[in-house]
Amino acid sequence: MLACPPARILSIAFRGRFFGVCAVSGRSAGQPTKNRATSVILTPILLFVASVLGAFALVLLMPRPGRNLRPLGGLIAITALGVAWLSVALGTDLITQITEDKLGLPSVAFAYYYVFSFIAIASAVRVITHKRPVYSALWFIMVVLSSAGLLLVLNAEFMAFAMIIIYGGAILVTYMFVIMLASQNEPQHEEDIPEYDRYAREPMWACAAGFLLLAVLLSVYYSPNPLQANPAAAMKTDAELIETHLADRALKADGSNQELASSPSTSATKLSNAERVGLDLFESHPLAIELAGVILLVSLIGAIVIAKTHVPNEDELIRGAANAKETGA
Amino acid sequence: MLASLSSLALSHFLMTGAILFVLGMIGFVTRRNLIIMFLCTEMMFQGVVISLVAFAMFHSNVTGQTFVIFVLTIAAAEAALALGLVVLLFRRRRTLDAGAWSAMSG
Repeated sequence: MLACPPARILSIAFRGRFFGVCAVSGRSAGQPTKNRATSVILTPILLFVASVLGAFALVLLMPRPGRNLRPLGGLIAITALGVAWLSVALGTDLITQITEDKLGLPSVAFAYYYVFSFIAIASAVRVITHKRPVYSALWFIMVVLSSAGLLLVLNAEFMAFAMIIIYGGAILVTYMFVIMLASQNEPQHEEDIPEYDRYAREPMWACAAGFLLLAVLLSVYYSPNPLQANPAAAMKTDAELIETHLADRALKADGSNQELASSPSTSATKLSNAERVGLDLFESHPLAIELAGVILLVSLIGAIVIAKTHVPNEDELIRGAANAKETGA
Repeated sequence: MLASLSSLALSHFLMTGAILFVLGMIGFVTRRNLIIMFLCTEMMFQGVVISLVAFAMFHSNVTGQTFVIFVLTIAAAEAALALGLVVLLFRRRRTLDAGAWSAMSG
């Protein structure tokens, strides 16, 4: 689906501004049509305001020379996130009115969503603004844990724990190893941190471009044809899957295998998340599994080749670096 | 409005995913430390994963979650190769500064 061009949203917004102000002013709160008009006008504006605020805050939060404006940047960043959530909440009204379709999550899930996604976004900001690489990696673990929490909110338990194990357990340990290997010693003072960690490279342009992309991405929600759940894409029901792929279990449900059928871990009519993912993986994507194995093998061999590459004059380089540090100190 | 604040739709999760993706992208562009740059690509993967799982939930089709397995595979392969390359570059110049290799930009 293509994004609704921002110009079009703005034109809708400005054409309807008077109407929107009337709707905001209160007396028409009970009328759904006017409420919808308010949402149509307010949400894109709120979204763009949030994007501009976010870009501004991130520029202030970036490590750079000069005055330290980080507390101010943090405040503006929290404001921007709040405005963005407000805009999405207003837009949710709009979207659900049109599609009549929510995610069907339990009603308390929204609280967990706000907590986890706040932690994820705040930690992500710390990852890209922290001056010491080790702490960046530690904050990234927080991002992984809280986005695993978001996956739990979405009832994707298998993916949540796979993420924690693979990202938090394997990939991040590799990163920590390399950071330890490549940084000479833990700097004690601010001045000991190397210059390339202390200052960001063109934060202003990067933030402007990044948040422009964010605004355009998010304006998809307010396109004239909002996303609809595709009923044809819905998977087979659990009962059908069990009948086609797990015939043994269906037999058990008949009573031919009593002790297995009565055990709490196997249910005759309901599949767990991991079972559904596994069935889909091996039923629909067998070639992709083979390719994934080949990619892992290639990267394994590649990593060994890279690690064994000979660096000319490496001893001299190490000695030179040590000398430079001594003279510098 | 309070009612709409306390209900979740697809757009909530897409917004979190998009913000994580954009933060990772900004980090990749602005940081000069090679290791942090690759850490930021992993953060972009996180945003993509959240969007994929949210779409899987929205369309009640589990293929979105299956795809996350392949995203994890690629992330692991990328981390192994990229970190090997970073260590090799560090051995040559004794610095993690991406600017030290600006001669390669041609």
